[in-house]
Amino acid sequence: MTGSFKLSKSPVLVGGIGVAVFLCVLEIAVETGMVMELVVPRPSDTFLAFPPVQEDMDLVGNFFVTLGMTAASTGIALAIGVPFGYFLYRNRRYGVAYEGWLAAAFAAPTVLLYPLFLVIFGRTYLTLIMMGFIPGAIPIVIQTRQGLLGVSQTLLNVGRSFNVSEREMFWKIQLPSAVPTIFTGIRIGVMYTLVNIVAIEYLIDFGGLGRIVSEMYFRFDTPGTYASIVAVILVSVFFYWGFGRIEKWLRPV
Amino acid sequence: MASILEISEVSKTYDVDGENPVQALDRVTLDVAEGEFVSVIGPSGCGKSTLFNIVGGLIAQYEGSVRIDGHAVDGAHSDVGVVFQEESTFPWRTTLDNVAFPLEVQGLAKADREERARKFVSLVGLEGFENHYPAQLSGGMKQRTAVARTLAYEPRIMLLDEPFGALDEQTRMLLGDKMLEIWSALNQTMLLITHNITEAVQLSDRVVVMSFRPGKIKEVIEIDLPRPRSSEVISTPKFGEYVGRLWTLLREEASRGMVEAEAELAAR
Amino acid sequence: MAQAGVIAAAPAAVPHREATVFRIRLVTVICLLVAWEGLAALGSLEILYGDVIPSSWKIVFAIWNEITAADFYRDLGITFAEHIVGFIVGSAIGLALGIAMGVNPLLRKAIEPYLNAIGSTPKIIFLPILFLIFGTGIDSKMAKGALSAFFPVVFSTALGMILINPVLLRVGKSFNLNQWQTVIKIYIPAMVNPVITGLRLGMAITVIGVLVAELKFADGGLGYRLGNYYEQFRIAEMYAIILIIFALAALANMGMTRLQTYANRHQGGSAAHSLSVATN
Repeated sequence: MTGSFKLSKSPVLVGGIGVAVFLCVLEIAVETGMVMELVVPRPSDTFLAFPPVQEDMDLVGNFFVTLGMTAASTGIALAIGVPFGYFLYRNRRYGVAYEGWLAAAFAAPTVLLYPLFLVIFGRTYLTLIMMGFIPGAIPIVIQTRQGLLGVSQTLLNVGRSFNVSEREMFWKIQLPSAVPTIFTGIRIGVMYTLVNIVAIEYLIDFGGLGRIVSEMYFRFDTPGTYASIVAVILVSVFFYWGFGRIEKWLRPV
Repeated sequence: MASILEISEVSKTYDVDGENPVQALDRVTLDVAEGEFVSVIGPSGCGKSTLFNIVGGLIAQYEGSVRIDGHAVDGAHSDVGVVFQEESTFPWRTTLDNVAFPLEVQGLAKADREERARKFVSLVGLEGFENHYPAQLSGGMKQRTAVARTLAYEPRIMLLDEPFGALDEQTRMLLGDKMLEIWSALNQTMLLITHNITEAVQLSDRVVVMSFRPGKIKEVIEIDLPRPRSSEVISTPKFGEYVGRLWTLLREEASRGMVEAEAELAAR
Repeated sequence: MAQAGVIAAAPAAVPHREATVFRIRLVTVICLLVAWEGLAALGSLEILYGDVIPSSWKIVFAIWNEITAADFYRDLGITFAEHIVGFIVGSAIGLALGIAMGVNPLLRKAIEPYLNAIGSTPKIIFLPILFLIFGTGIDSKMAKGALSAFFPVVFSTALGMILINPVLLRVGKSFNLNQWQTVIKIYIPAMVNPVITGLRLGMAITVIGVLVAELKFADGGLGYRLGNYYEQFRIAEMYAIILIIFALAALANMGMTRLQTYANRHQGGSAAHSLSVATN
């Protein structure tokens, strides 16, 4: 590909320019009426919608609501998931017996359970937390067991050659070895939890950021809708990036 | 000189799926004197690692007896230290913490542990790298860390299973020199497993040649080269003769091994 | 290569272990059923919120009613159509872009951050945009399906392109393969596995995507049915629909896994069983 050779060295720049061009084209398209304003707002309007949306719906506050529920779900998922994963590791037969079920559960559309939870727990934060807990716990269970199973035999042999006790073997060799894998499970779990919670907030018009997106749409506030969607994107990116960094820090290990 | 290690009629058969038992070792007998440097050499599949694991107490079931200082081996022995062939450093510990590991297990206080660990770190030539993680070290350095860690255990017998197998020849020879330095400083009994003839002759007092499966001792060759030895010994004619003798012995075993391995694959 | 890992691990007598595993599963299922019936009994005694945990029989009955109802099949057809169209469109775009990204590193690096950003976001949040553009009918669900299918496919494909062992390409060059031959003989065989993995994930995720869109605004489809039952407080029917959906999703997944194992039959070992970052 010919083109300014400086440009090809800087993909970030190319990407940024691409996005900027797209936004400009969009702006013009809406301005000239080629694209309906009610369907896609001017990017500038979307940008300008942030302060009123914040004012009206308290984006920041609701971010913390969503965050809080995600944290609560993850906490419960860890408290139950890690011990259960450890149990499945210690008891090989149970581990094998439930392996397929867990994999199936991981792929299953658990979000569809929300009408049931609504009936059982009502339109409350508890419903959201429970709906977040389920998709979060499964990868944690799977990865905890995997991590412990995957400890290199060589490292275990090192422990045996030094006559290490069983306790020490677990705390000093097996667990540290398993941590990166377990954390991968946590990262996946957190992302799934966040996604599910935001999704259900949107579906049931209750909770934090997801609710705001739904609300804006109901009010026919198109710039507001797009603005709140952007807010959700930013939150997701932040989580994805943050946990990715932590995982990378644990991994060269 | 008293024998510190007495391997007597040791045999080991593996029962794979209860169908075709594989005899890895067949009545291996070997006495190793204290302070000796003995290499065990043989083709892949001759059972040298099995022998090694038995002496190291990592394999419980076998026929025959292994005695250290007259006492039967039963599980990992505090007089035997093992350096494995694969990368065995703990990736989550720094060099210093890796080396201090056996001291930690023995319950030494932190300050004591670190001081003694430092000694061994510099013995293998890794001063300055105490706070590095294995991911930041080269293959040779990681193996040196593993050696230092085993040395910190202060075993009377060191078992080394092809520790330098994954390294390039030049690094290997330099590390071989290092091992000899350490050996003359600490005076342990060294049992080295290798498939590298040059390495065996370069380092040992005696070389034990094993046959292909079932592993038996084919011959034991005394290496009568002067001590202290350095890698420069490889240029002497006597060195070449020893290598030649060993290769003649090994060649037959090695080609038998190759033929059988290929037959196995063809049968699948 | 010597193996330091040969320790006391006795090979487990396989038939015995399989029997125990089966026993565990059986006992677990029985225990769960018993617990369920217990809760259901509490419900009918008005100790638990009325009908929230209906007895298994009621659910089985409801499932039967569903699969013998004509309008169930109408809704199933609608959801199926939304799923298939969305999946095909989304996967096609994903494949094309993934290949383009593999071939052109500049494109890949420029686009990657934006793809990751949208990919990590719950796609459901884009529903308002889709509803605005396509209305609340069947088109919007197809669009949502396409959106869902796109991401796993594009990521898997791009990754597959990057991970093609460069040595294999050099081998091709050394034999003077032309562009077309390189594609047919090296790229395509190497890409089979990543692409199928991506399609498999995409298919599963599209199911969720389409159903969830139906739950928000729809007038047909299985999700719409589920929403209706919720509004009418018909709990047993809700469970029935959910179970049917789970079963269909599991079947589709099994089918794709079989396909993948078949495609991989030469490689030995099981097909991709990894928990990669699937998107939603």
